[in-house]
Amino acid sequence: MHFKEAIGIALDTLRAHKLRSFLTLLGVIISVCTLVAVIALVQGVNLYVATKIGRLGLNTFSLNQFSLHDMTDRQRFARAVHRNPPLRMADYDFLRRNATLPIAIAASVANNSGTLKAQGQEMDDLSVRGVTPSDLVMESFHVAQGRFISHFDEQHRTQVAFIGPDVVKHIFPGVNPLGRHILVNGSQFRVIGVASKQGNVFGRSLDQFVMMPISTFRKLNGKQASINISFKAGGSAMVQPAMDQVRMLMRARRHLAYTAKANFGLIGSTAVMDLWHSITGAIAAVMVGVSVVFLVVGGIVIMNIMLAAVTERTYEVGIRKAIGARRTDILRQFLVESAVLSTTGGVLGILAAWLFTLLAGRLTPIPFSLPWSAVIMALLVSTAVGLFFGIYPAGKAAKLDPIVALHSET
Amino acid sequence: MPSTLTQSAAAHPPEAAASAIIRTEDLWKIYQMGVEQVAALRGVNLQIARNEYVAIMGPSGSGKSTLMNLIGCLDSPSRGQYWLNGQQVSAMPDDDLAYIRNREIGFVFQTFNLLPRATALHNVELPLIYAGIGTEERAQRALEALRRVDLEPRKNHRPNELSGGQRQRVAIARALVTRPSLILADEPTGNLDSTTSKEIMILFDRLWEEGNTIVLVTHEHDIAEYAHRVIHIRDGQVADDKPTARARPRA
Repeated sequence: MHFKEAIGIALDTLRAHKLRSFLTLLGVIISVCTLVAVIALVQGVNLYVATKIGRLGLNTFSLNQFSLHDMTDRQRFARAVHRNPPLRMADYDFLRRNATLPIAIAASVANNSGTLKAQGQEMDDLSVRGVTPSDLVMESFHVAQGRFISHFDEQHRTQVAFIGPDVVKHIFPGVNPLGRHILVNGSQFRVIGVASKQGNVFGRSLDQFVMMPISTFRKLNGKQASINISFKAGGSAMVQPAMDQVRMLMRARRHLAYTAKANFGLIGSTAVMDLWHSITGAIAAVMVGVSVVFLVVGGIVIMNIMLAAVTERTYEVGIRKAIGARRTDILRQFLVESAVLSTTGGVLGILAAWLFTLLAGRLTPIPFSLPWSAVIMALLVSTAVGLFFGIYPAGKAAKLDPIVALHSET
Repeated sequence: MPSTLTQSAAAHPPEAAASAIIRTEDLWKIYQMGVEQVAALRGVNLQIARNEYVAIMGPSGSGKSTLMNLIGCLDSPSRGQYWLNGQQVSAMPDDDLAYIRNREIGFVFQTFNLLPRATALHNVELPLIYAGIGTEERAQRALEALRRVDLEPRKNHRPNELSGGQRQRVAIARALVTRPSLILADEPTGNLDSTTSKEIMILFDRLWEEGNTIVLVTHEHDIAEYAHRVIHIRDGQVADDKPTARARPRA
């Protein structure tokens, strides 16, 4: 019964002093906006990364020369270079024969500074990849035109190329590329197929590549470079057993002692996402810390303005007390008022964050959305700040002596 | 639960201790002014019966305002006893006094003391809000109170849209709306011109005729003349207590 009344009074006060209220609430608005926007951004980016970078695909993992952990530090990496031998095609053949749990296996090797010449055009910084003819390579795209690399190509080290749509755009605009010849790092290839478009990740195109049989790649580039071996498990429950089997096979093959560190890296899509989450988590933690500071500042400003409101309305408190308002009635009135004030700030902050994510969603390909949990949390937090910082001013109002208050009129 | 005076009890009850609305015994109020103690009231003994119309007079500094604060339960005495409508209120804690003010006393102040941003109706409703009365009954009773002071057509006006006399009538309606056992008016005409003052005093007459007990605090003799009994306070004590020319012989 008092709540409706108190909320009405609070909204009246807000309306009566729009600019003052806005300035008062600026701290809360900024902090809630930061809080909600950061959560929305981190969630959006995580989702994006999960679908794009984690394009290893569902239930897949890969065997590499180095683990992610090896690459987090330069010294660590230097040690790993000494310790970890490169992965060879023999390892691939061994695993293909012996790893029974993965349902698919593929090997690949890449060089990211290839050049391509054809039709009098040239392309640099091309991703040149040698791959095995496995469906696993095609987790994130499909064949848009022509065909993919076949077992025949792999066995005979044919000079065939499966190209990304960016290559078509640059070299063969308006021309059917199938059957045409291109020069990749000086060797001649025949285009046999084109991949579907994948788009960009952080401004870097995923469509700027040339794929060839891995046997052809190693014939041309030498056999020193380590290969990567990818696996797919049959269902999410099978990922861990399959990884364990590959790890065990590799340790046995390399005669590692029971206590020795693994000299290869097994990277699941979960490992990639874990690393990513630890990065974004750190960013989010810093931003949440900043917004908490804003929130405290915002709360203090609200306390200040509520103290002013109590002084301004001492007379009103006197009237209310004279006609029977108890301490709790006055306390509640001012508490509700400061809570309404700060919740209004919270709502404005959420609106600002919403506009911000809408804008960010327009300007970037990242799918931003306001998570409901963040909105509800922001509302609760802003209300709590109002209640907490309203306690002191409300207590002051509640303790006013009605006689003194009645004579305070201005 | 205090028994509230119903409006139908218009009959004048005999003066007896049992029917006393106000009874004080040796009421003292001592203020600590630095190291000095100043006694604003020095043993006031008063008895005011139901449906009496009493004026309390006295020069400034006489203790008149202090007495009014004590009678109005806005303050507690330093010493002595005070019964309001049969309840010992002199030793009550804050919130109980708030309850008593809400149920037993209707205040009318010199400066009207209305909430500036609230409508007349809302101002009259205010005591009922604190009495915990539901929205519908509240509006109904507030309207009825406004009708009794002939201000129903102005129910949606804010105080600054009303004349001084109208504001005071809103304040009187607010005092009436809880059906209190005592209407306590502190210089109710102090801010009004003589014509409007007269209107307000006629309204008080009517309220008295309807059975209300009225205590009027004033320093104006012509206003005090409307009452039927005048109590003079001087130096914190009752100096004089006698009926006025308007006092009616009681049945």
